[in-house]
Amino acid sequence: MSKKITIDPVTRLEGHGKIEIFLNDQGDVEDAFFQVTELRGFERFCLGRPVEEMPRIVPNICGVCPTPHNMAATKAVDKVYGVEPTITAKLIRQLQYNAFYVEDHFIHFFFLASPDFVVGPDANPAERNILGVIQKVGMEIAGKVIEVRKRCRDIMRLLGSKAPHPEGGLPGGVSRGITEEERVTIKATADYAVEFAKFALQLFKNVVVRNPQYLDLVLNDAYNLNTYYMGMVDENKNVSFYDGNIRVVNPEGKERAVFDPQFYTDHIAEWVEPWTYIRLTYLKVLGWQGLKEGFGSSLYRVGPLARLNASKGMATPEAQAEYEEMYAILGTKPAHHTLAFHWARLIEALQAAEDMQRIANDPLLTSKDIRNMNLRLTKKGIGCVEAARGTLIHHYETDDKGLLTKANLIVATQHNAAPICLSVKKAAQGFVKGGEPKEGLLNMVEMAFRAYDPCLGCATHTLPGKMALEVVLRDPQGNVLDRISRGI
Amino acid sequence: MASQKILVLGLGNTILGDDGIGIYVVREIRRKWAGRPSVEVVEASLGGMVLLDLITGFDKVIVIDAIMTDDPKPAGFLYELSLDDLGEIVQPYASHALDLKTTIELGKRLGYAMPSAVRIYAVKIEENTTFREELTPPVGDVVAGLADRVIAEVS
Repeated sequence: MSKKITIDPVTRLEGHGKIEIFLNDQGDVEDAFFQVTELRGFERFCLGRPVEEMPRIVPNICGVCPTPHNMAATKAVDKVYGVEPTITAKLIRQLQYNAFYVEDHFIHFFFLASPDFVVGPDANPAERNILGVIQKVGMEIAGKVIEVRKRCRDIMRLLGSKAPHPEGGLPGGVSRGITEEERVTIKATADYAVEFAKFALQLFKNVVVRNPQYLDLVLNDAYNLNTYYMGMVDENKNVSFYDGNIRVVNPEGKERAVFDPQFYTDHIAEWVEPWTYIRLTYLKVLGWQGLKEGFGSSLYRVGPLARLNASKGMATPEAQAEYEEMYAILGTKPAHHTLAFHWARLIEALQAAEDMQRIANDPLLTSKDIRNMNLRLTKKGIGCVEAARGTLIHHYETDDKGLLTKANLIVATQHNAAPICLSVKKAAQGFVKGGEPKEGLLNMVEMAFRAYDPCLGCATHTLPGKMALEVVLRDPQGNVLDRISRGI
Repeated sequence: MASQKILVLGLGNTILGDDGIGIYVVREIRRKWAGRPSVEVVEASLGGMVLLDLITGFDKVIVIDAIMTDDPKPAGFLYELSLDDLGEIVQPYASHALDLKTTIELGKRLGYAMPSAVRIYAVKIEENTTFREELTPPVGDVVAGLADRVIAEVS
């Protein structure tokens, strides 16, 4: 492991972003395990606190996706207090949530994913980063990414008092309404976001889909994983981010389950393996079948492509057209191509932007009826949203005073952890032969990673703010053959 | 010449124990010091690209944060770092891996007013994966002295 500076952050947290690849006697990849650090003691930390504090506490769990935690907590607190938000409150929450989606999805695509495609997967790592992307696409486009992000964050700040860590989250509603003057700005942002999303999709198609080399990469078996899929859907079974039922489809796209998130424990079970801190999730009705893909497996994926696979379509017209085009090119639905998560992410950004337009034009957006105060303590609440990275569930229970007696979270990376292991294994299989890792192994494995954008512990603030990915190659006896990482 | 615009930025997560050291230091600074118009004292539980909004427009940024290292220095040890100490700019493998150095370089390329000086006070911590609100004694002992030091620097 190279150490370029005296203060070496490579091992800043044991297990952070570590991949263990086990080889068989022939020196080929037998298994791969993805490890992350678990944040411990969350439930104990929460016990005894007033449940209405949770929307303010949980954004601190993650410095990258605080809005979904805030929203899931707020929805759970609605349930704890047996109250349905007003129509206007729902519109405002959805507006805030869509603004988050647009921002988060674009940041992921342009900063994380696009270096592989715009600069190239084989490019010098010193150039394969966002600065290299700017070099290629030009300052104007980069400036637009920053501008759309800024405008969305202004909306989030307006509604959550600061961005991205929202401070609001009241049972039955929201803490502030929208004025007609603010509506004008919101409309302009929504229009800008729609135009930019369409541009981003065109860029993706020009750069990736129309480039045979890159399209081959997307369709390559190394990045193909045959699983079930899970995602939230609206009443038409179209993709939904804020509210709806959870739909599960099998590897052939047939509906396997549709359920109200209140009954998630009937459908999702957790499994503990000795090699990971993460409680892996699986489809309860199928039982734990281990780390394998296909029909014999009980593993499912969540996140952008999974949501599209698990739905009947998109909820907005322009996104629907893009959805149809994507599946026509990929040739199958569900599409099992892990790198198509990036494509799906951009289509979702377009839906979120179009939905912002819908909300911006809704007469009820500026109504003063922003809170339903008809609260009654039910002592149990489950809040579910689609976080950018996948289905997020917050489950709280309280005593007679509304003080927490139970807090359980299921986050996107839990759902995806086992499939990530399989994706890493398949990506690695093409790059380790006869015990020798080939040049490029690290980035090929990282590309599988990036598609899911897993959450790695969420303690993002500790310097230097970036985490190294370490790949450890082991022989069948567990002896370390090689360690590969980028010295940071 | 107009006085430099300075940002004192405390980073951390106060529900993950010692990870919150940067926040506690800026709170101590606010408690002890009346401030100056050209100096902003900000706390943020944020990382990555989001920092771009916070640091734009300042001439100098003083960051106070926790750090985990594998050198033998004890918890509470204070490192003084520059951006050069934070390593190379690379393509992150996840959103959680975007960093301050890349953010500043990106801001520069985009023509944003990025600080010409960045000083980082990094307090060594041992652990930041357990939810709790208290600092451990060796890290908590740093708060008052580091706050005084930063106040002296910006006063």
